[in-house]
Amino acid sequence: MLLDRIYAFFEIVASLAADPVTLGILFGSVFLGIMFGAMPGLTSTLGVALLTALTYSMDTPMAMVCLLAIYVGGTYGGSYASILINIPGTAAAAATAMDGYPLARKGEGGRAIGLTTTSSAIGTAISMLFVVAISPIISSFALQFTSFEFFLLAFFGILISGTLTSPDLVIKGWISGFLGLFLACVGRDQLQFYPRFTFGIPELDSGIEVVPVLIGAFGIPQIIEVLKTQIQIGKAKKLQKIVPEIWTVIRNFPATVRSAFIGVGIGAVPGIGEDIAGWVSYGTAKNTSKHPETFGKGEYKGVLASETANNACVGGAMIPLLNLGIPGSPPAAMLLGALMLHGVTPGPMITFEHPTFIMEVAAILLLSSMAMWVVGMLLAKQVVKVLHIPTPLFMPIIGVLCIIGSYSLGLNIFNLYLMLPVGIICYFLTTMGYPIAPLVIGVILGPMADENIRRALMVSQGSFMPIFERPVSLILFLIIVFTVLSQTSWYKRRLARVKEKLFRSKHSAD
Amino acid sequence: MMDKEKLRKADFFSGGLITLFGMFVIVKSLGMPMKDSWGGVQNVWYVSPAIFPLFVGSMLVLLGSLLIRTALQAIGLSGVVAVVHYFLSSSFASFLRSRETVRFYGIALLLFSFVFLMVPRVDFFLASVLFLLAFFCMFYLDRAELLLKLMLLYCGGMAALLCVLMFSEPLATLLSHPADWFVLVFILIFAGVVRAQIAGVSQLGKKFRIALTLALTAPLLIGMIFKYFLLVPMPFEGLIVELLDLIWYAEIWG
Repeated sequence: MLLDRIYAFFEIVASLAADPVTLGILFGSVFLGIMFGAMPGLTSTLGVALLTALTYSMDTPMAMVCLLAIYVGGTYGGSYASILINIPGTAAAAATAMDGYPLARKGEGGRAIGLTTTSSAIGTAISMLFVVAISPIISSFALQFTSFEFFLLAFFGILISGTLTSPDLVIKGWISGFLGLFLACVGRDQLQFYPRFTFGIPELDSGIEVVPVLIGAFGIPQIIEVLKTQIQIGKAKKLQKIVPEIWTVIRNFPATVRSAFIGVGIGAVPGIGEDIAGWVSYGTAKNTSKHPETFGKGEYKGVLASETANNACVGGAMIPLLNLGIPGSPPAAMLLGALMLHGVTPGPMITFEHPTFIMEVAAILLLSSMAMWVVGMLLAKQVVKVLHIPTPLFMPIIGVLCIIGSYSLGLNIFNLYLMLPVGIICYFLTTMGYPIAPLVIGVILGPMADENIRRALMVSQGSFMPIFERPVSLILFLIIVFTVLSQTSWYKRRLARVKEKLFRSKHSAD
Repeated sequence: MMDKEKLRKADFFSGGLITLFGMFVIVKSLGMPMKDSWGGVQNVWYVSPAIFPLFVGSMLVLLGSLLIRTALQAIGLSGVVAVVHYFLSSSFASFLRSRETVRFYGIALLLFSFVFLMVPRVDFFLASVLFLLAFFCMFYLDRAELLLKLMLLYCGGMAALLCVLMFSEPLATLLSHPADWFVLVFILIFAGVVRAQIAGVSQLGKKFRIALTLALTAPLLIGMIFKYFLLVPMPFEGLIVELLDLIWYAEIWG
């Protein structure tokens, strides 16, 4: 069985690699992704969003090659700006700047970029292994889920995303999630076709188109923020010869594997992106180091930890996306939108409806990591040139792409009328410390939560008791209750008291 | 993002808005069929289309109220009064005139006019050229005094475009695609005004040439990729797209 899977996997890899068109698209998309990641102000999410429109007319496997390659390339590309100008190209590479820039100042920028290239490729490849290994287990487990579990899972996804991505108060993350759920309510409901919040506008009857809303939510605030605040990009440090730094990775192999595990784990949590993976991994590397004082002054282990983790997050984010239909990160949310456009509905049934799909995704991840390594090694000096392009020159073009992209998905002008106001509202929400990821997750998971709670209540004749009678739903319910309780001042006071008691008893024992 | 103190002050107001919005969601949901019949089907409460919006609305009210409480705990009533005073003071007026805020107006003006006015009614290529040229001249040339002047000029142009669109039917009897011709002329006027404003500053002259080149080539490239390679018809096909069609589908290409 396992051997069959391995054989099938390599067969898919070989068939993809043997097709020159696929290879061309793979390398082109990775290169484009690296450029997107490298330019401060552009993100891999935006890259995936824009390419969703361009890949609309492609067949699904080719579109997946394009989108996953730009996702992988974009996550890695952020390190260029972090290392050479101390401005993270993407939030995912913010932790990389801590040690990457000091290395560039010491004249070791080439070595640092070489290390990020190798560690990012390894991170992606390890995460691919998890996609292959864990997916069947989660998928078969998820087949046991009933409507109550799906409702609780969607609700948990929104809550946990709101809790972990909020830059300010956790309540704001939750509010953002519920605003997303509200947007998902707009349109005729799926069970009785009753028009909800359509205000007599016929275009709203079919509900809000997810992809234009996502493009607006991610693209418009980025354009406004960058152009409004005039980010002044400093002069990039000179880039010397790019060295793959394979020996550094081998010497720090346990740390590399640990960082990849952190990346996969964080990626698998709904809505949590590569930035958190990078920081957690960097923090862990620093805390476990024998010489933590060297971190922040140009420590190769710091660069390795953050870059391995943020790229491993890509595969991690694929696990809940493919098996449960819950996106693990903002670019994965975009990817989910793209998959739905191509008629693929991720979830437990995916292994029956598209038996080889998960394998294909894993194969594309593996090939993307290889392509990224090759492009990174050969073209890094060329890519670095994009750092000289002033942001006011490319941001308006991104604006035009967002607009034509949103329109092209369904050839509907109304998509634009939705996209822009959503984008402006998201900009104000961001300014006031509300995270956007839970809102997006809410828009995506809203229909799942709505349909499943009503279906579940229909089966139980209006009783909520099955939640407490089924082990999985009970566990999910308890996790949700704990997530909420853990944010209350009562819980925090209790926790502080317990810690104090433990500390005292430890001292008295000493 | 704002600093902590400003955030708490803003939270009081955003919390209020969220609470009100939640109430609106609840009120609208209560108007949906709960136990009565809809489409010939007798409802029960647990399959009602109102149940999920009611839950969402209630949560928004609850969380909005909690946000107000948190904000009040941090800033107190005096903080709220200070914010109200700020809104009535001259410092708020000067904030509305600050450079960053004016830049925001500029971005919002360009985006809204492009999406709501030009894209559905003007040839996509011409609309994009004007949008990009205005964006580049306002933000890439980066001169505060120029930004305000160009914003006013652009506003005037958009007002005139609105008039042309209102009278497009009688105008079309004289000239086909009157709005497109107007935008074409306005692009020339806009470029001319910018050129005159920056005359004598060689550094800006170079920047202007880059802006103009990019404003002309980017829409052409984007438009051609979408229209001829991805086969996506443009939102509005007018003067230039028709010309491009003539060239693209001409017999000379075989």
